Amino acid sequence: MELSESVQKGLQYLADPVHFDLKTFTAFTEVAFQSLISSRSECGLDDPQLKDIDQTILKHCHIATTTFILESVKQNADKSAISSCLEDSFDTDRIDVFYSSYQHHKRTLENLLESIGRSPPHITDVLWRLDYCIKNSHVHKVNQPSYLISLHVENDDSGGPPKEVNFNCTMEQLQDLVGKMKDAAKSLEKATQS
Amino acid sequence: MLLVLSDEHKEHLGFLHEVDPSVVGEFGRIAVEFLRKGSNPKIYEGAARKLNVSADTVQHGVEGLIYLLTESSKLMISELDFQDSVLVLGFPAELNEVLLQLYLDNRKEIRHILSQLAPTLPQYHNLEWRLDVQLASRTLRQQVKPTVTLKLHLDDSGTQSARVLQTDPATLLHLIAELERALAEAKTNHCRRIMRNIK
Repeated sequence: MELSESVQKGLQYLADPVHFDLKTFTAFTEVAFQSLISSRSECGLDDPQLKDIDQTILKHCHIATTTFILESVKQNADKSAISSCLEDSFDTDRIDVFYSSYQHHKRTLENLLESIGRSPPHITDVLWRLDYCIKNSHVHKVNQPSYLISLHVENDDSGGPPKEVNFNCTMEQLQDLVGKMKDAAKSLEKATQS
Repeated sequence: MLLVLSDEHKEHLGFLHEVDPSVVGEFGRIAVEFLRKGSNPKIYEGAARKLNVSADTVQHGVEGLIYLLTESSKLMISELDFQDSVLVLGFPAELNEVLLQLYLDNRKEIRHILSQLAPTLPQYHNLEWRLDVQLASRTLRQQVKPTVTLKLHLDDSGTQSARVLQTDPATLLHLIAELERALAEAKTNHCRRIMRNIK
């Protein structure tokens, strides 16, 4: 794992008992993980356990630690990879504390990182309605069942609120749609079994 | 159900009485063609020159036919009702037969054309799908994330459009189950009873 000088410097501060004893180190590590996971905008550095630490150093350490966490998750780093990065300055206790937090939050962070990036709108649900069309202004005696399908989609390119894709279909068209979705589901099942 | 023809409409159609039934057949063909592709006034002028009448007269004749055909098709009137409806025009039997044949031959297509005018949401046309497994991205390496990409083709009054959407395997199964419930609903007693009784 390649880390910039600034990140390495920040991690050295964090390893230094002059700035962080083991207890504040533990509190700080948890704050760093939480600041990445939580949806709140503030980073939690106002934690009472951290109030005695110089703010400049605290912020430097926070940036360094969060960068290190993200880089480790991104690379899917295991204990030996993390240890080899930290062992120059960190004692074993601190590596253990960090690693246990890392293990605890890794899955959540992976999900978070996985979802970053552009992808087509994601279908989350479907609503349907069955109508029987009797007549309209142009044709009488239509007498055809008709479905209104409404797909709920999220994460549109605009990043706006959830939207819908609405369309009509006849019974035959709905059978066609379901048939094609079933083909896809069958192929998925085969792919997971092989 | 009989068609009620206005006096103006009768007057316009009256012109058909003055020409040969084969010309009426030709006008009928033009009327259906205009319904398919929109009208073309040049044809009126050409026909008017040949028949030695004004272009307006030809136009009224053809448009009268178009209106006769669309109204009867819209109401889906029976063969007998159609015959009775055109009786008021006082045409000879041969001409009435030409009109009836024109109606019967084109009713299905005209109803199809008219049904496209009805207010509706985009109509389902086709679905294409693709399976992917996301393996890595800038922010995260070593992933295994199956995704289903769906391309939904819709038809909005003749204009085709496509939306590319994505979903995950679990949601796909949910969608299938929900839409199968929708299909099953049409076979329930309630729905069948309504559909059988509204005719």
